[in-house]
Amino acid sequence: MKLFRITARHAVLTFFSAVWLVPIVWMLVTSFSVDNGPNIRSFFPQGWTLDQYAALLFGSSVVAHFPQWFMNTLTIATFNCIISSMFVLMVAYSMSCMRFRMRKPMMNIALIVNLFPGFLSMIAVYFIMKSIGMTNSNIGMIIVYSGGSGLGYLIAKGFFDTIPRSLLEAARIEGATEAKIFLRIVLPLSKPIIVYTIIGAFLVPWMDFLFANIMLNSGLSEKKTVAIGLYSMVSRDNRNTYFGQFCAGGVLVSIPISILFVIMQKFYIQGITDGAIKG
Amino acid sequence: MSAHDKRKAKCQPAAGRFFTSLIRDIREGDIWVKLSLLVCGTGYFARKQYVKGTIITLLQAALMIFIPTMLWPYMSKIGTLGTVQRELVYNPVTRKNETNDFDNSFKILLFGIIGFIVVITAVVLYIKNIRSVRRLQVRAENHKHIDTFREGCSQLFNKRFHFTLLSMPVLGVVVLVIVPLIVLFCVGFTNYDRNHLVPTHLFTWVGLENFQSLFSQQLTDTFSYSFRVVLTWTLTWAFFATVSTFFLGIFLAMFINNRKTYLKRMWRTFFVVAIAVPQFISLLLIRNFFADTGIVNTICRDVGITQFFKNIGWIAPGLDYIPFLSNPQWAKATIICINIWVGAPYIMLITTGILLNIPQELIESAQVDGANGFKIFTHIKMPYILFTTGPFLIMQFIGNLNNFNIIYLLTQEVYVTQNQALAASNAKEVDLLITWLYRLTQEHSNYKMASVIGILVFIMTAACALLAFNRIIRGNREENFQ
Amino acid sequence: MKKLISLLMAMALLLSCVGFAAAEDAVNLMVWIGGDKETDWINGVIEAFQAANPDTTYNITVGVVTYETVGVTALQDPEATADVFVFPDDRLHELVRGGLLQPVVVDTEAVIERNGGEGSGAMAASMVDGQLYAYPLSASNGYFMFYNSEYFTPEDVSSFDSMAKIAAEHGKQVSFPVMNPWYSYGFYAAAGLSVGLDEDGVSNVCDWNTKTDPFSGLQVLQALLDLVATPGFTDADSDAFVASVKDGSIIAGVSGTWNANIAKEAWGDSYAATKLPTYTLDGQQVQIRSFAGYKLVGVNSYSPNVGDAMDFANFMTDYDSQMSRFILLDDGPSNIQAAASDEVMANPAIAALAAQSDFADPQQVGGYFWEPAYTLGAIIVAGNPEGTDLQTLLDNTVAGIVTPIQ
Repeated sequence: MKLFRITARHAVLTFFSAVWLVPIVWMLVTSFSVDNGPNIRSFFPQGWTLDQYAALLFGSSVVAHFPQWFMNTLTIATFNCIISSMFVLMVAYSMSCMRFRMRKPMMNIALIVNLFPGFLSMIAVYFIMKSIGMTNSNIGMIIVYSGGSGLGYLIAKGFFDTIPRSLLEAARIEGATEAKIFLRIVLPLSKPIIVYTIIGAFLVPWMDFLFANIMLNSGLSEKKTVAIGLYSMVSRDNRNTYFGQFCAGGVLVSIPISILFVIMQKFYIQGITDGAIKG
Repeated sequence: MSAHDKRKAKCQPAAGRFFTSLIRDIREGDIWVKLSLLVCGTGYFARKQYVKGTIITLLQAALMIFIPTMLWPYMSKIGTLGTVQRELVYNPVTRKNETNDFDNSFKILLFGIIGFIVVITAVVLYIKNIRSVRRLQVRAENHKHIDTFREGCSQLFNKRFHFTLLSMPVLGVVVLVIVPLIVLFCVGFTNYDRNHLVPTHLFTWVGLENFQSLFSQQLTDTFSYSFRVVLTWTLTWAFFATVSTFFLGIFLAMFINNRKTYLKRMWRTFFVVAIAVPQFISLLLIRNFFADTGIVNTICRDVGITQFFKNIGWIAPGLDYIPFLSNPQWAKATIICINIWVGAPYIMLITTGILLNIPQELIESAQVDGANGFKIFTHIKMPYILFTTGPFLIMQFIGNLNNFNIIYLLTQEVYVTQNQALAASNAKEVDLLITWLYRLTQEHSNYKMASVIGILVFIMTAACALLAFNRIIRGNREENFQ
Repeated sequence: MKKLISLLMAMALLLSCVGFAAAEDAVNLMVWIGGDKETDWINGVIEAFQAANPDTTYNITVGVVTYETVGVTALQDPEATADVFVFPDDRLHELVRGGLLQPVVVDTEAVIERNGGEGSGAMAASMVDGQLYAYPLSASNGYFMFYNSEYFTPEDVSSFDSMAKIAAEHGKQVSFPVMNPWYSYGFYAAAGLSVGLDEDGVSNVCDWNTKTDPFSGLQVLQALLDLVATPGFTDADSDAFVASVKDGSIIAGVSGTWNANIAKEAWGDSYAATKLPTYTLDGQQVQIRSFAGYKLVGVNSYSPNVGDAMDFANFMTDYDSQMSRFILLDDGPSNIQAAASDEVMANPAIAALAAQSDFADPQQVGGYFWEPAYTLGAIIVAGNPEGTDLQTLLDNTVAGIVTPIQ
């Protein structure tokens, strides 16, 4: 009886895992497919080949400037990750551990501003960037992504709220400056939330195609990010010629992110639970 | 309402206090304070704070140059949003177009608003400067220590550390989020649409006309109808999406977390991989996966599922595929299911963390009291989870109200509206307010209506948020839980 | 020492002159093409253009903006739009109204002549209020009937009924994208009904729900419903067409030159194409009309180098460039000389288009046409599941189509 329950339990888990992984597996096998378009006759491809990856990475087709896109997005993601995380942590710490006159009003304003649909203001941001000549460039994208990131401080603040006040008080009595407290005491204690913030910030440029579409409007393929590039590969015109490459691109993009997730799983969970509870 | 009144009561005296104290400062200040009205740095020079004085004076000079030359041309036209329309003449000799000095309404709006903000900030800083100089004078008269520049700087890392921490992020937020929001908010009161595209045409203020046309019953009959339909679906969707993802996530978490499960980490990794693929890639993938001519339909057809659905009437007789994403009812169901696919692992991760945090004594004492697994779940674990994730769930709901990616990516090119009234205003049955808004902006350049809808969406989400948060704060807290 | 200094000064002077001269002559142009397949063609054109103008240096960059999005992208920020760009003709009015297109004021007569003169389809598609705003590049954005000559003789393909019957006999199907109003327009136009732009150039006028002599919109709708229900007939838009041709379930279907390769690969030597057939309307056989589609080259009026841009656009659309475009991309030229040449006429797809062009209208409808018409198509294809009164369906559709743009 016990054996049955155990097998039943694991059977259920297998079923669910399968459901979750089926599309990923399909992406994986289609990336090795001979067929250029989406495979509609059978789940597994008719023939197996590495051509899609070859075309994607080394091909001379104008659509697939994949290595360039990858480098663009990686650059943007790295800098965004650094700047965004700094901003978020700075704001979260200020709101959580320090007291000053404008604290409550600023939190309320942040709450209200957060409720606006973000891309409503895309056009205005585009013109602001244009006036400083930063459209169609990696730097412009970095500024756009990281500039407003301070608004996303809530979960980090929730985490900082769990740090015992007594610790901070003791440090202040000992004569440490606020800067020292932040850098030497609080940050080392906050590894989970730092990891969570960094991963979150890193992921943003890979996934956003709204802002990128507006900002990178020169039509030049080398300036695109992976998001727009891959999106254009599955447009109606291109779908039947580039789907295999799209899948290959998807795999290549997912690998580093998955590894990041899996390794950081423990920190990530801890960070978000502690932050979500109080947030 | 009482909180609002209290705040109002505090504000009025505060504003009044602000100006009366300014006047007092000027009257009671010495010659240096009065000179600081002209050249902002003099007060500091007098007290030997040379560096600070220089910096402040330079800042003042910069603002006095910057505002009139660069911003005033735009600010002055903000009432009319430009009057000079573009005219061009081709000059065959230079082979270039010669244009008049035309106005760009959008730039006027944008830089005009930036101008106002800069002017207001400058005025506030100016007033604060007087206050600060006066305070400096008082300290000098009381022979208190006056900080050197170095000491002042080190304060930035101590008492005024929040200033250092917040300056860059706040600047970023103001320039890149708040200003654009204000600009687009204002667009809702103009007539910026495809007949008035800048820079060729001008647009101008129309007041509340757009809101009226949204709610009126006349020729844009269909617009208000569509608004109601889309709003209903947005609320329904947000509710179902949040609830379904939440419960399945909990289920998975509990299932994996159970003592009797082996290889916990492996199962969790499977689900994590599913969310590690960037959402928009997986959504585009799934759009093709479930396409009308896609792989799932081929399999369904071969296995006979399609015929089964046809027999029970869930598929229209003219089709020989399952319209996963092209028929309203099917599409809504499919999208909710796919949202579960995308969101449940995330909830699972969070719930796992929470479950690990439940104090073991609670569970053990319940077991001692004779409760079985199910009772433990319903009376201890569930309430604990609901309590801790309450605020998070509210945020998920609000997030789902604006969940653009999933609807847009799954239905962009494959879905056709079946309702004629909706089609007349470019809405689809599966649209959220936000995707409708996006399409109005992007494909029809109807910025003004998009802005109006955005404003209404904001009011709605703000109302939901306030309602929900008030409930949580006023509602049961830990006493009830114990 | 003195010599060294004077030598350096002389070199500096010389270099500055050269720099100055080079800066004076180099002209920067940006060109947008509609698809990545066109890169080879445009590079060839750029080389030829530079060779034809040796005394000026051109720096021409090429960007890709798809035909679907170029109308919107170009208007979003005209100052950032390319100097020269290719766009489909249905965007013409919008772009003109947005002030983006430079009126063609250089070589206008020559352009008009070589594309068929003032009354031709190409000119109708590129002129607004008698002023030429774009250079026609290709004329093959229309559609026609592909068929597998194994099953059909040239007589069989003259009417849908006979084609559907033959297809049903073989257990196969004939397809037409009924849902897509770009295609189904032809059914209404065949009956004499029309949809087009209002005087303001933005909204539509449409009389699909009325009677014209001798047919009415009601009859067309009924005919469409009947056609959808005919065995051997199926509705198939581009994706479905490709899929079904590949697996052999469709032996004839309506599509455009972009799918010519698919049909060629699938049917090999039996690949054939012809104009659209007739359909049964109120008992009579009526020729289905179609939208003629042109690709036009526009010059950005905000460009700092308008004159050079116009030169390039002119060069890009002349006989040689259009012929090389045909050879590389199978895109039918709009230049009448090129279109009449032997190589072009030998292409079955383009010959079919030419035959259909007698029944083709320029595509000039406003933005609000598509969604309501698409919905009507979806209802037709589903067989009118709610049994709505047909006249009501038409009235609703027309109401949606003619909604003034607010």
